[in-house]
Amino acid sequence: MPKGRNSGRNSGRNGGHIMTGPADPVTRFFAALGKPGHLAIFEGDTASVRLDVLDGKKVERWHVSIAQGDVAVTRGGGPADAIIRVERRYLDAMVTGRLNAQAAFLRGLFACEGSVGALMMFQRCLPGPPGATGRVAPISSKTVMAERGIR
Amino acid sequence: MSGSLVQILEGNTFVVSDNRGDIESSATDPTGLFSFDTRFLSRWVLTVNGQRLNALSTDDLQYFQTRFFLVPGSGSVYVDSKLTVIRQREVADGFREELRVLNHDNEPADLQIRIDAASDFADLFEVKDALKKKGRYRARVQDRHLVLAYQRETYVRQTWISSSSPPDIDEKGFSFRVTVPPHGEWKTRLDVVVSNGSGVAVADPEGGPTRIRGQRRVRTDMERGLEKWLRQAPQLECDWEPLERIYRRCLTDLAALRFSTLTMPNRSLPAAGLPWFMTIFGRDSIFTSLQALPFVPELAATTLLALAERQGTRIDDFRDEDPGRILHEMRYGELTAFEERPHSPYFGNADATPLFVVLLDEYERWSGDTKLVRDLEHAARAALAWIDDYADLQGNGYVSYQRRNNQTGLENQCWKDSWDSISYSNGDLPGFPRATCELQGYAYDAKMRGARLARQVWRDHAFADRLEKEAADLKRRFNRDFWLEDSEYFAVALDGDGRQVDSLTSNIGHLLWSGIVEKSKARSVARHLLGPRMFSGWGVRTMAEGEARYNPIGYHVGTVWPFDNSFIAWGLRRYGFKEEAACVVAGVMEAAEVFKGRLPEAFGGYPRMTTRYPVQYPTACSPQAWSTGAPLLLLRAGLGLEPQGDNLIVDPALPARMGNLEILDLPGRWKRIDAFGRGRIDTDRVTLR
Repeated sequence: MPKGRNSGRNSGRNGGHIMTGPADPVTRFFAALGKPGHLAIFEGDTASVRLDVLDGKKVERWHVSIAQGDVAVTRGGGPADAIIRVERRYLDAMVTGRLNAQAAFLRGLFACEGSVGALMMFQRCLPGPPGATGRVAPISSKTVMAERGIR
Repeated sequence: MSGSLVQILEGNTFVVSDNRGDIESSATDPTGLFSFDTRFLSRWVLTVNGQRLNALSTDDLQYFQTRFFLVPGSGSVYVDSKLTVIRQREVADGFREELRVLNHDNEPADLQIRIDAASDFADLFEVKDALKKKGRYRARVQDRHLVLAYQRETYVRQTWISSSSPPDIDEKGFSFRVTVPPHGEWKTRLDVVVSNGSGVAVADPEGGPTRIRGQRRVRTDMERGLEKWLRQAPQLECDWEPLERIYRRCLTDLAALRFSTLTMPNRSLPAAGLPWFMTIFGRDSIFTSLQALPFVPELAATTLLALAERQGTRIDDFRDEDPGRILHEMRYGELTAFEERPHSPYFGNADATPLFVVLLDEYERWSGDTKLVRDLEHAARAALAWIDDYADLQGNGYVSYQRRNNQTGLENQCWKDSWDSISYSNGDLPGFPRATCELQGYAYDAKMRGARLARQVWRDHAFADRLEKEAADLKRRFNRDFWLEDSEYFAVALDGDGRQVDSLTSNIGHLLWSGIVEKSKARSVARHLLGPRMFSGWGVRTMAEGEARYNPIGYHVGTVWPFDNSFIAWGLRRYGFKEEAACVVAGVMEAAEVFKGRLPEAFGGYPRMTTRYPVQYPTACSPQAWSTGAPLLLLRAGLGLEPQGDNLIVDPALPARMGNLEILDLPGRWKRIDAFGRGRIDTDRVTLR
């Protein structure tokens, strides 16, 4: 087993900090995002994002602000550098890693007004796909040659 | 198709047409108006009275602007030479075309002028692979525009076309019925603007290009100023006249290759190649920034910021993403949007992450910009952590690669990314994971440079000590495990079983650049690089003659890559092989002279004695960023430019035929400095010791 694999692979936003409980995925995600209070990867950054989550006729608002790595998540409106309008089903998929946010944006699954940098920062807070292992079985020279039709 | 292809671009928007200015693409034919990796026009054909036009001449005014002089009739027989048609085209968020029809007759000319327009909205990847579209097309006339649209679920792309004079618009194009007076002129302006969504076009009240409401515009070069760019660069003078032309060509091509991201619209970084690779590539942007550092240091700063902003944060097997990993390639087309391709972004490379740290350190050594080093401290630490935590796939302390996306991921995640680039001497292909040698060199260099930054800027001495200790250990192991005792060079890789992959390749030159080679082994490495199996006379081959897979026109198995050679020359200088470095400088610069200043991505590995001219390898992209940067790094190697504290050391070792060389106003922490050198090395008579 390579060093660091166990310690590295399952920590961070991939599997850590996920609270258990009856709450929906979006609520769980934001609770987990705000919980550490500080994210080292954003130490050089300051930006805020507001999400207007559309659910039928209801709109639920979340506000995330990052100041030199300090993260604050609140439920509610207010001005922000980027405002994301997204249907709940798509946000559900994004916060559980089933939908890649960059691809979703290109596809027009949500709209964003304001700072692209702030949107990108938010994207980097999202988890990877469920079941991603970071591992793959080695392939022998013989197999590589056979796949290329070389004997 | 009439005549050769003409291309103009601005950022990632570009037009490829024939020499009449017409676009008539088929599914696999790479002409059209492209933006954000999507074709927005696949048909754009001008006729006058139902006749196609014939090109008299085509002037590339600027890389973003071109002009076509045309007459009606096709082939060599001019049906009516009393008319001249001038099309002038400029790329913006789409393009803008001025159409002028000049009547040279004493009689008025009644004309039916027609532009046919259509789009297949192909993704660049589809153009390459001829894939079938899954969405619906619709053309409509709306608000004096012809709107071409494509929709697949919520994915919408549109092309809005309008004209300054009132046309008859139908769903297939524009018609103008005009009478041009004797010796008179008629003109109109056509605006083509691309919409990455369902936004509508709005005319600019000041007469500027039409734009899409709510859509961010990428800043255009018309505002950036090519002249200013050239004026701000250091000035070069040389007795060997071709060098001045090569240098100017490099600077102009680098300007064309500048690319702005939506997050930093006022800054630019080098994209990988024109036109198909006008996007961020981790490896290419880093290598080009390193090459250009002494001349245009701001490219490096933007590259570092843009890559840090997109650094990996999670495990994603489809995208080969890990926390701390630096991206490989970013794309914006339909296949990426629907996750049929992993480029959102794709992370499958094993070198950009250590090279990110290398660039950060090298940039600071030149610029003294410690603020950026502090701002990117976390990104650099995450990159260094990636080397140990995620890149050591075999648990043997070496950086290896193996794709986790086995459908659309990359097999070889090093710069030699073609399928057969890494092979044993007998031609067999190794299994995966593969630990290629240069990756270990980059990892070593990243740790050494990371240690310097930790000590001097981040003030973390314990971290610096740890990195240096790891680097020393890596160097010791590497020189033991990769060294081929009998042949006296480094294996190109260790395979999945830790066996040496024993072919002789140019990768060993990158090892000299990285500093991982023990002094006692360096002379053998240099001797191999300049020996007859590797050195063609124009440069060092990617693979040595005599290897089973050697082919002088094989992509990574025998051709000479100017970019590769520029780093080899830097490596030779690092170990004190001045004369050998001068041979590489002379060979590649003389090839650049033959290619009129613009080096191709690669050229044939035939011995110089046999072909007399370097044979260009057919390639889709020109200019290629790191080929454009190669002469700049070769200049650095030839002059022996090396920052030391607040000074710039100049220690020239130039080919004799260059005579006197001076570069004025090199920017850096010393503000501006001049460097002089005189060519003294007779590169035809260098003997390998």
